[in-house]
Amino acid sequence: MRTLVEVVARAGPGGRTVLPVVRASGQLAVRRTGPTTVHLVATAFGPLGGDDAVVRLVVEAGARLAVRTVAAAVVLPARGESPPSVQRVHAEVAGVLDLQPEPTVVTAGAHHRAVLHAELDEDAELTAAELVQLGRTGEEPGRWTGTTRVTRAGVPVLHTTVALGPGAAAWLPPVAPRAWASTVHLGRAAARVTGEDAVRLPLDRGWVASAWGDRLAGTRAGLALLEGVPPVEEVLS
Amino acid sequence: MPPDHVLDDYVDPYDDPAARGHRHGPLRVGLGGPVGSGKTALAAALCRTLGQEYDLAVVTNDIYTTEDADFLRRNAVLPDDRIEAVQTGCCPHTAIRDDITANLDAVELLEGRHPGLELVLVESGGDNLTASFSYGLVDVQIFVVDVAGGDKVPRKGGPGVTASDLLVVNKTDLAPLVGADLDVMRRDSAAVRAGKPTFLISLREDPAATEVADWVRAQVRARVAAHA
Amino acid sequence: MTAALLALADSRLPAGGHTHSGGVEQAIAAGVVSDPRSLETFLRRRLTTSGSTAAGLAAAACRTAGGPRTGAAPAPAGDRVAALRALDREAEARTPSPALRAASRQQGRGLVRVGRRAWPDPVWDDLPAHPHHPLALGVAAAVAGLAPGDAAAAAAYLSITGPATAAQRLLAMDPITVAVVTARLGDAVDEVSAAAVPDADGWLPAGTDPLLDLLAEVHADRTDRFFAS
Repeated sequence: MRTLVEVVARAGPGGRTVLPVVRASGQLAVRRTGPTTVHLVATAFGPLGGDDAVVRLVVEAGARLAVRTVAAAVVLPARGESPPSVQRVHAEVAGVLDLQPEPTVVTAGAHHRAVLHAELDEDAELTAAELVQLGRTGEEPGRWTGTTRVTRAGVPVLHTTVALGPGAAAWLPPVAPRAWASTVHLGRAAARVTGEDAVRLPLDRGWVASAWGDRLAGTRAGLALLEGVPPVEEVLS
Repeated sequence: MPPDHVLDDYVDPYDDPAARGHRHGPLRVGLGGPVGSGKTALAAALCRTLGQEYDLAVVTNDIYTTEDADFLRRNAVLPDDRIEAVQTGCCPHTAIRDDITANLDAVELLEGRHPGLELVLVESGGDNLTASFSYGLVDVQIFVVDVAGGDKVPRKGGPGVTASDLLVVNKTDLAPLVGADLDVMRRDSAAVRAGKPTFLISLREDPAATEVADWVRAQVRARVAAHA
Repeated sequence: MTAALLALADSRLPAGGHTHSGGVEQAIAAGVVSDPRSLETFLRRRLTTSGSTAAGLAAAACRTAGGPRTGAAPAPAGDRVAALRALDREAEARTPSPALRAASRQQGRGLVRVGRRAWPDPVWDDLPAHPHHPLALGVAAAVAGLAPGDAAAAAAYLSITGPATAAQRLLAMDPITVAVVTARLGDAVDEVSAAAVPDADGWLPAGTDPLLDLLAEVHADRTDRFFAS
């Protein structure tokens, strides 16, 4: 099934942000839940193998937008030979975009591809988080492939593809984590930090932090340590 | 522009720096020799003696740690920005002879940092008697052995002993203690070195390394004259 | 033409590769690599992540540099400078680890030094001052008369041979065993170099292994190391 979400954030009168475009079709609905916040709401189980979702976000100069989801996305395989499910987020940002969805859980036999392509203006700000758990409790892990490409004023700042799960390149024992947490931030610089199964790398006026482990709770805590904020409570129990 | 873009080396691919001496920059002196023979002590002595006369810097090829570089910082009265340590990938002789890239990078870094540089000492990691510098890296090389290694060392030869531009036999003060015959060492060296000089010295008795420093001065003068 | 490819992939080419362990020195310290089996796993990881990324960049740089076998019309020099600079930024974006960026640029510089004398060509001057290693490799391949696929093959192959040699030295492994390990990865090397082309988005491969980033950063802080990276 094909899903399309479009949100445009624009600077309105008095420094407020208005959302002239908020629309969705397919398996996601969009709800405005705060002055600058929208929540994506799944209207069906899934995604399923073969599903294709495109999320287009435009944050114009002077505007702010926070994007959240209401619950973890549980990726299920299609019957038979399951093709990957794909979610592409394309963001054009001149203002401030904060993208922090709930975790993606990839069940056994499923393969989810996540693409974030963010094109930033010179002074734009971006925070984008990714939380992944391969397999539900007691289940074989699924596969997840995440590509992040961020450009600023047309110059690539970060372009990486991380592939996790059985058969993936960088997923071989003894380092084959089932949980993955990563945040990329462009706006303010931060120094390099190394931790146990966690590393924060400096980017030009930004940083990218990643942590991995067996369970998302500990992994998020490791990431939070890197980000210099206290660990948050686990949402998956 | 970095030095590797300034050099017009590609005009003549067969133009070999090793055959004609380096056209640009300071005199590069290699300091090689077996472990413990006193390379670092000699480098420190040369820095102390020549540091006021010449604009100089040192590259160290520590095998494992930055110990030699740290020793030089303490003993050579040389500022940190004049000492560069390179990693040699477990192969100290490869780094000075077969693939000199890391050392060239270090020399060029120092040259870029100190445009008036006149003298660079490249100290090898401690190796064995077969290790010698490529003349693509240095203009002249000094091989340092010591009396405590036994008076047979010059007779055994090896590229360092026979082909170096200067052979230094260090720690002559230990000769009576280890039963080494300095005359034998002097005679054997002369026999295998085809007229090239050998100095028997003791850095303990002459911490200024007077004789070696004089030799280095002569090399600098010869180079300046040749490029005038 | 094959001879030029052999020369580029030869570990004897004095371009500074022997002072880099490709992360294996820290992998050994961390207990990730300890024997032939774990070495093979490590090399496979490296090949299919950073090796694949390097292969894509090398092939693209070769195509950009032009040359008899690149299938590209000779570009005006100004365009080539801009295109190579853009590729260098793509390499930078695919190498977020500062330690790995430095290692790549150091090896790129070393390869330019030897390459511009071995295969003299004005195109060397179109590269940035300290190019990322895959760019230098791609340009070297082009001026040596090779095709983009050859540049990719060299990049993929070099992504495992450097660390294999380092592991052999550090663990005093049987050199024949290490040769067997790298030989067994031959098909994987071919697969990676064949896939070193832009995807449907027009993006070059960007495979990343966060473990390698972490190991590289921890390694860079050590003062007791044999290898530069």
